[in-house]
Amino acid sequence: MSAHTQDIRQTAQFKRLGLRHSSPLLRLWLGGLVIALMIGMVAAAQVLINGLVVTNLTNQLPWGLWITLDLSSIALGAGAFTLSAAVYLFGLKRYEAIARVAVFIGLLGYSSAMLALFLDIGRWDRFYHPIIYWNVHSVLWEITLCVILYTTVLFTELLPVVIESSRRLRSVKLLVRIAHFLHRLMPVVATVGMGLSLLHQSSLGATYGILAARPVWYSPAAPVLFILSAVAAGPALTLLVTILSGKLLNRELVPADVLEGVAKFVGFACLAYLYLKLWSWASTNYYSQVPEQRFGVEILSQYTPYNFTFWFGEVLFGALVPAVFLLWERLRRNRNVVILAALMIIAGIVINRWNMTLSGFVIPLDWSPGVRDVFTINSYEPSLIEWGAAIGIVAYSWFAFTLGIRYLNLYPEARDLEVPPGATTPAPAPEESSAPQPSPST
Amino acid sequence: MSEQKQKPAERTLPQPPPNMRLLSRKEFMTLLIGGGATLVLAATLAQPLDYFAREIAQNRADGHGGDPNFHWVMVIDLSRCIGCDYCVWACQATNDTRDDMRWNIRVDDETPLGTTFHVTRPCLHCAHAPCVEVCPVQATYHRADGLVIMDYDKCIGCRYCQTACPYGARSFNWGERNDENPRVPEWGQPEVPRRPRGVVEKCTFCVHRIDRGLANGLMPGVDEEATPACVTVCPVNARFFGNINDPNSEVARIIASRPTLRLREDLGTEPNVYYIPPEGLEA
Repeated sequence: MSAHTQDIRQTAQFKRLGLRHSSPLLRLWLGGLVIALMIGMVAAAQVLINGLVVTNLTNQLPWGLWITLDLSSIALGAGAFTLSAAVYLFGLKRYEAIARVAVFIGLLGYSSAMLALFLDIGRWDRFYHPIIYWNVHSVLWEITLCVILYTTVLFTELLPVVIESSRRLRSVKLLVRIAHFLHRLMPVVATVGMGLSLLHQSSLGATYGILAARPVWYSPAAPVLFILSAVAAGPALTLLVTILSGKLLNRELVPADVLEGVAKFVGFACLAYLYLKLWSWASTNYYSQVPEQRFGVEILSQYTPYNFTFWFGEVLFGALVPAVFLLWERLRRNRNVVILAALMIIAGIVINRWNMTLSGFVIPLDWSPGVRDVFTINSYEPSLIEWGAAIGIVAYSWFAFTLGIRYLNLYPEARDLEVPPGATTPAPAPEESSAPQPSPST
Repeated sequence: MSEQKQKPAERTLPQPPPNMRLLSRKEFMTLLIGGGATLVLAATLAQPLDYFAREIAQNRADGHGGDPNFHWVMVIDLSRCIGCDYCVWACQATNDTRDDMRWNIRVDDETPLGTTFHVTRPCLHCAHAPCVEVCPVQATYHRADGLVIMDYDKCIGCRYCQTACPYGARSFNWGERNDENPRVPEWGQPEVPRRPRGVVEKCTFCVHRIDRGLANGLMPGVDEEATPACVTVCPVNARFFGNINDPNSEVARIIASRPTLRLREDLGTEPNVYYIPPEGLEA
């Protein structure tokens, strides 16, 4: 098909927004991010030099903020496989307009997770050990391998975009051919990507779900809840940054029907997540008389804000309200409502990953054979250095995204695509045509 | 300008028919040749890679080291234990652990009748050890003699084993060790090197004593030199150690003749540490 060659020709119209075109707001934003990055680097140096003694983690509660960060960023990167699958497997071609940016966000999410893990493991100099010493029985091994392979997939998916977006790279014949080839290979890559994602996104839940000794974790629902929430939150983040960037750049980056289609999909994904969450809660909390589970739930409600954050952060404002916002057509049409809904879903999933991690650790393991409550309830608050490193990693992804949106052709339909092949002169450039129009929502 | 740049690319790429968009013949051939080349490369590298393959095979989770003729178990008599902490301190001195990373700990519990009793807990060396199952790099593994051992050179410090262990038996080296051991020399001398920063560690049943003892013709559980420090130091003989494969060993006779319990048997971890319950607690 000639679509590919046309692709490249249209790409020629893609204008990079170099830093010369920067507004004071952008400079302020980038400046802030640079400061955050520096904070992150100082914190990371502390960790690498002194070890994990600089954290507030303990032998009783060995995972904390950084695990929450990498669980969240992998979940928020799920837009990549969801939207790629929509385009290349389910043939919903029009979603290609948003799939590219989803892949880019995915890559940022996964690389953020890798950065966090790199700091979090005690021996960062042995980060490659899972590749050499296989324990095929370990879900964490499977996750590590999947994440490595999937990051490769994301690179493969993004490479044509990088080649397309640079005039210099585009002038190298070989690279153009590689880009063409990869583009044609996309259905295969997307299938592999979806397989890997389904595996490790749910295995992350299984990391907790398979541990029989931890009553509030031990649940067959955990892996499914993880994948469902990721399928909702990943595209939600893609929507959020697309709409926000569109507003800031004063362009329509993605056709309105595509945005609304994704929004609707996210709404349904939220409902699916809520449905399973309801039954998971009912069977482990409401109907369960298992003493350990009841004891654990009691501890959580008595000593932590778990109940409040679960019901308000995860369920009500994290999934139910945004589902209503996104499925109610009149509300969905309003871009500001979509922004709000996406923000709520993202906050909801971060709260969920934090609660998930902490809840299992707060409840002490009770292995002593007697009847006395021997063990103390564990607590945790991240240290300043943990916060610093986390802020640095988040700043990295935001910084990279800002550069990406200015230098990469992430929104192939942001320009006027309807150039008839026989037309003598191209239609007016989209920048000119869209600028005077008011943004659709306000 | 850009038109010129794309023209050659267009010419070199034959347009695939619309119903066969995935791969053109040329690309298929390229893939085939590429795949073949990879195979040839792999075959060439097979010799040097074989070293790693053998290394991996040798380090498979089961049966790595240890004599399969023995199966080491510990029996702890809770009806005798007086909670003196000698075993805790002897372990700290012998294995050079700090107070906050003890391999062997004591807690005070009570029976349903309200009598206090003391539970000391080393690593239970489970036959189905969750820590072994979850470790992504096989840094902790089963030996043929039933011990669950750490390979400090493999551990990446992810701490999933700490998360998975139902007994809280694992400690992490959060920082570099430069502390003075408060139990030395009163409770013994360190017999093993300190572990490096960033790895997880746990009770080894004093594997260094077992292996050296067997090599010198001694019997662990009988000869003090070959027996874990916590067992030999106990002033009330509440701890026993030995080979359960030998029906005449002390541990085998106790387990056969007295009611014993193991911690959290409901989890199916099959610990190799047996407890004789105190009065008022059912086995």
